[in-house]
Amino acid sequence: MTVSPLQGVTHACFGLSYLCAFLLELARLVWPARGWRIAGLVFGVAGVFAQTAYLLINQPPLAAPYGSLLLLAWVLALFYLYGTVHYAKQAWAVFVLPVVIGLVGLSFVLATTSPESTGFSVPEWAAGERFWGAIHGVLILLASVGVSVSFVASLMYLLQARRLRRKFAPDRGVPMLSLERLEIMNRRALNIAFPLLTAGLLVGTLLLPHGPSFGDNWLSLKILSTAGLWLVFLVLLYLRYGVHVPPRRLAILSIASFALLLLALGASHPFAVGGVK
Amino acid sequence: MNLRAIGCNVESATVELREKLAFDAIKTQKALAELNARFDAEAVVLGTCNRVEIYVARQETVAALHAPLMAEFLSEIHGVPADVIAPHLYEHADAEAVRHLFRVASGLDSVVLGETQIAGQVKDAYEAAHEATATGSRLNILFPTALKVSRRVRTETGISQGRVSVSSAAVDYVHQVFSTFTDKTVLVIGAGKMGRLTLNHLMELKPARILVTNRSPEKAIASAQTCGGQVVPWDNLDDALVQADIVLSSTGAPDHVVKRRQFDEKVRGRRATDRPLLIFDMAVPRDFDPRIHDGDTVTIFNIDDLSRVADERMAERRRHIPAAEAIIEAEVKKFVSDWNRRANGPVIGQLTAEVDKLRDATCGRLLTKLNGKLTDADKAEIEQAFRLFQSRLLHGPIAALQEASQEGHSGGLREALMKLFGLKG
Repeated sequence: MTVSPLQGVTHACFGLSYLCAFLLELARLVWPARGWRIAGLVFGVAGVFAQTAYLLINQPPLAAPYGSLLLLAWVLALFYLYGTVHYAKQAWAVFVLPVVIGLVGLSFVLATTSPESTGFSVPEWAAGERFWGAIHGVLILLASVGVSVSFVASLMYLLQARRLRRKFAPDRGVPMLSLERLEIMNRRALNIAFPLLTAGLLVGTLLLPHGPSFGDNWLSLKILSTAGLWLVFLVLLYLRYGVHVPPRRLAILSIASFALLLLALGASHPFAVGGVK
Repeated sequence: MNLRAIGCNVESATVELREKLAFDAIKTQKALAELNARFDAEAVVLGTCNRVEIYVARQETVAALHAPLMAEFLSEIHGVPADVIAPHLYEHADAEAVRHLFRVASGLDSVVLGETQIAGQVKDAYEAAHEATATGSRLNILFPTALKVSRRVRTETGISQGRVSVSSAAVDYVHQVFSTFTDKTVLVIGAGKMGRLTLNHLMELKPARILVTNRSPEKAIASAQTCGGQVVPWDNLDDALVQADIVLSSTGAPDHVVKRRQFDEKVRGRRATDRPLLIFDMAVPRDFDPRIHDGDTVTIFNIDDLSRVADERMAERRRHIPAAEAIIEAEVKKFVSDWNRRANGPVIGQLTAEVDKLRDATCGRLLTKLNGKLTDADKAEIEQAFRLFQSRLLHGPIAALQEASQEGHSGGLREALMKLFGLKG
């Protein structure tokens, strides 16, 4: 039986590739030259390739914290590649890659230190093809992508707004998108993420009574933080469309919602069963 | 090399004199034709708002055209006394003229360091002269090379980086805040010069609407007509501010036109909070109370903020002067060396041909005298010996000429060789 060399791919392979891409992007800001960008993109593409191979070969479960974080990092890595090509003049990678690297790092830590589930107790009515479980996972993952994009856009917005407030020269510092573009990006990410999160939570709520310990499930960190995230979203949307709070304050709340998301994804799933790795 | 760059610029002549010496298309054609016919000189006339320069190249064997003679010539063309012109003219000769043109084309000699417009003006001046058949083998090499050097300097250094005018700094700030402009409203308050200049830049972004307001309705109408804007009565200023996305203010008012309280009560609350307002207050004294600036929904830049950006960018450009000068120096050296090598070519060719003829005659006579006494191998040996002698004889002078051309001063040696060997120019 032949073993594919891709089976040797680990977190370190793509994590370090992203790190190299990030460092090269930083170098491009200090010493502007086309070579840095190309080299950075090569490392970025290599990282995405390695991570894709890892995901295909190892198929980490979406419900496991390390698996969901890894999948989220992968989607954001694709988002980084798109942005780097599409917004060639902006320091896109400088903002997205640290999030990707952070998620990969967190996923690695959780994969090596947390008790690993040996399986998921799937309710009988959905057990056939684990259909609803998968729907729930995908919806939450897509909502997480929205929250992450909103986080990156908010971070850039706050920095850009700070530069304008302090009246920095337009060409000084990290090149960023306009306030208007960042605000639109943030708004769209949240507008798309909220219905996805709501639908994901609804499906999850329907699955919950079929879990192993119904009472404890409701009080698990994952459920509480996800519900908290949903509430923050609700507040965000109300502040934006109901009270018309200035974008800067909304950006701060968006960043807070990303922190809640990390907590929700990092917490172990109530359906997880089994021993320690 | 018999090349001269003669003229005046902002440093050597007042704007009044430069205006009098300005070349329009007709005067340019006349000057080029005259220089060609009268002095048998290739010529290019470069006239911009900051300089009037004439580049002339003649054969090396004739006298150069100097500044006093050019003052007389300019006097004839423009009807300004030569003694008024002469003190303001500078003259750059040969390699110095090449260096000057390279610096001019690269924007190193411009009032706004690194400006790119000058390269286009040099190109236009050359093309006009070329079309008038006023250029020849010398200037047809010099000017295209100057344009190539200009491109190299701008590409390899940051001498033309960023936009250095106050109004372009304002436009750059607009790009920091907005990404689309076709749905934006620009409000112009007052009719100050800086406001108008900035508006010209902003109009290139094609905003949806331009509103114009002024204390004087006549001035408002006049301003609106020039920019295709819509007049707003001065009393409706607050309403106009509610509608605006970008404000250009440059009134001559002695006090704030928009006070903080007035803005907070009548404008801020009526605007959507996610609609940023960017205000360029270019008036001195300022038109907007600076406390209106919150850096979130309302951002104000005054004339000092914009000037500071322009100054910073200019300082950044200045940092690239040594690198640009180094490129120009290397290019001048290469150009002069190539120029001399090209000038040496015909002389070396003529010299070799003359000595060839001499050798053939001498060798032919000898072989005729010894006819019948020599084998074919002997004849070949003798011919080879003559060739070797010729080659050794000419090696020294040709090598010296090439060496002098690399050092940029082969003219004297070339003339000496022509005299010594009786060559025709």
